[in-house]
Amino acid sequence: MNQKAYPAPPAIRVVGMTKYFGTVPVLRGISFELERGKVLSIVGASGSGKSTLLRCLNYLEQPTSGEIWIGGQSMSFGANRNGARHGPPPAQIARIRAEIGMVFQQFNLWPHMTVVQNVMEALLRVRKISAHEARARAERYLAKVDMLDAAGRYPAKLSGGQQQRVAIARALAMEPQIMLFDEATSSLDPELTSEVLDVMRGLATDGMTMVVVTHEMGFARDVSDRVMFLHQGVIEEDGTPATVFSDPRSERCRQFLSKYLG
Amino acid sequence: MSFWTRTLLADAGPLLHGLYVTLSISLIAFVVAATVGLGICVARSRLPVLTPLFAVYIAFCRNTPIFIQLLWVAYAWYELLGWPKEVYTAAWVALALQSSGYLAETFRAGIDSVPGGQIEAAHALGITPLTTWRRIIAPQMLLTIAPSLMNQLIVIIKCSTLVSVIAVPDLMFQALRLTGIWGDPVPIMSFVAVIFIAVIMALSALSKSLADHTRARLGS
Amino acid sequence: MYGLSIFWDYRVILWHGLLINLLVFLLSSCLGLIVGLLACICRLSSLRPVRTLAACYIEVIRSAPELVLLFWIYSVVPVLLSDLLRTHLSFDPIVSATLALGLVSSGYFAETFRAGIQAVPAGHVEAAQALGMTGAAILRRIVLPQAVRLMLPELMSQNIGLLKTTTLVSVITVPDIMYQINLIVQQEMRPLPLYTGTAVAFFVLILILTSLVGRVGLRGA
Repeated sequence: MNQKAYPAPPAIRVVGMTKYFGTVPVLRGISFELERGKVLSIVGASGSGKSTLLRCLNYLEQPTSGEIWIGGQSMSFGANRNGARHGPPPAQIARIRAEIGMVFQQFNLWPHMTVVQNVMEALLRVRKISAHEARARAERYLAKVDMLDAAGRYPAKLSGGQQQRVAIARALAMEPQIMLFDEATSSLDPELTSEVLDVMRGLATDGMTMVVVTHEMGFARDVSDRVMFLHQGVIEEDGTPATVFSDPRSERCRQFLSKYLG
Repeated sequence: MSFWTRTLLADAGPLLHGLYVTLSISLIAFVVAATVGLGICVARSRLPVLTPLFAVYIAFCRNTPIFIQLLWVAYAWYELLGWPKEVYTAAWVALALQSSGYLAETFRAGIDSVPGGQIEAAHALGITPLTTWRRIIAPQMLLTIAPSLMNQLIVIIKCSTLVSVIAVPDLMFQALRLTGIWGDPVPIMSFVAVIFIAVIMALSALSKSLADHTRARLGS
Repeated sequence: MYGLSIFWDYRVILWHGLLINLLVFLLSSCLGLIVGLLACICRLSSLRPVRTLAACYIEVIRSAPELVLLFWIYSVVPVLLSDLLRTHLSFDPIVSATLALGLVSSGYFAETFRAGIQAVPAGHVEAAQALGMTGAAILRRIVLPQAVRLMLPELMSQNIGLLKTTTLVSVITVPDIMYQINLIVQQEMRPLPLYTGTAVAFFVLILILTSLVGRVGLRGA
């Protein structure tokens, strides 16, 4: 039996991350690890810092302090002459972001490009593959989210659920190591959320490492390997869905969940 | 620099008078244009049949260059109507003509910007149309369009420099006259340019703070 | 009508005058667009001093009345340059007009450029960043295509405004159409039909141009 000499590094490792917006603390000392292939759901009230946490992972927000490793690669900080922290150089950030896929609450499809052009764009500019190959890959991932028929249409003509599925295909086509979902269904009408959640469920089954900020408790309970409850920038609860949902230690978490699950 | 100060001190009188003429013509034109613009708005809602007429008037005022309007009012109107008799009058009439078109549109946009639901609520409570206008529509409309009104005043001041061409003794006219007397354009023209820029920048700053205040009050 | 026949009699010099207006318009529009673009780029720069300088330039140039700038560039700048270079310089009226109107319009164009770029939703840029795209590619493929579409109507209407402003240049002796009209008025002593005819002619011209722009704007939306 073969044993690897070293265990694979965790997909995500965060130590002591804080984030201040001006003088307002949004994240206070976040530390956790996520193994590959696992699905982590982050829940909490508005303003608890969930989205900020997610956006720090791919550096759309710069953490005020702390360390982040993505797939063993450090998003290292240095200190410049004034002692103020600065992040990694832009080229390194771009490279790491290519390995992380992000799906936004507002979809953020580019309106002047067709569906398939949206999916191909990063493949051409970042992965730098040929147009022929990019198109083939784009169509493959559009088929995966069941949006291949709409390949030549413009985003404005699609429903919210359809747009979000295209956005997922756009992120997936880069074949990232990790997928981040920032309240991916919060902007959708209730009848459209299930089509997106189904896609996300499929990804989890296929073994994608996912961090999902969500209000969909059903998804958190049924699909995640792990659930984190965030309150005012602190992780108050962190465990398996069974533990967190049926017997949380934190009173605030209990109250929060009771509002959602009745 | 003492040449500059000597020149400017000697010319302070005419320059100040020129500034006074510029500002007074601009203000008169602004008030007249606002009155006409508002009048057109009200007339349009009372007598919708006249809308095409007003549309042509507004289009004419906005699309014809101000210089042509100035010469037209100063000379062609005089030939036909015998009025305006003085260039001073022609100046503010032409400026008011140009701006009345823009201000008519400004007032219309301002009135339309008040949400219809608020007016319905007022009527549902039994408030008369006149009181609704006075207490609900007009205050909000004025707050919303205040920056646009300010900007139009700035446009009028800029256009007022043209009246020097028909020999109205505004600031620009004084600058040209004094340059002719002294022979050296540098100090006078530069100083006058600075005055104009300073006045307009001050008004722009006022307009911007009005806009910020409105956004804070009405929630954009 | 007696009035309109004057226009026909003088049609040649009137036409030449109009061509001068068009020439000044084209030259100053190009200058304004180039300078405006530069100013906008500086205005959005990451370096604070460059940003502040550009913002000051834009603010000052937008506050300058066109006529003041026309006279200033025509009469003052040659004197200053002559003193500086110790020669005798004078500016051709058309050059002065181009410079003055070009600089004035650069302020308005710069603000339009900036508004267009900043109107592109931040989310679109973030999505591109999240995919690992870098600044230049994002600008070229995501921001500019949308920004240009947004700023075209305003740019076109500002250019029509510039065309209207070219009617001022006769005051610094540029032989444009207003210059010719004024000469004819002095000769014929008939201001009523001449000025009225000119007003109507310009009204129709600008109205047509404005409608065209409006039509294009709607289709582009």
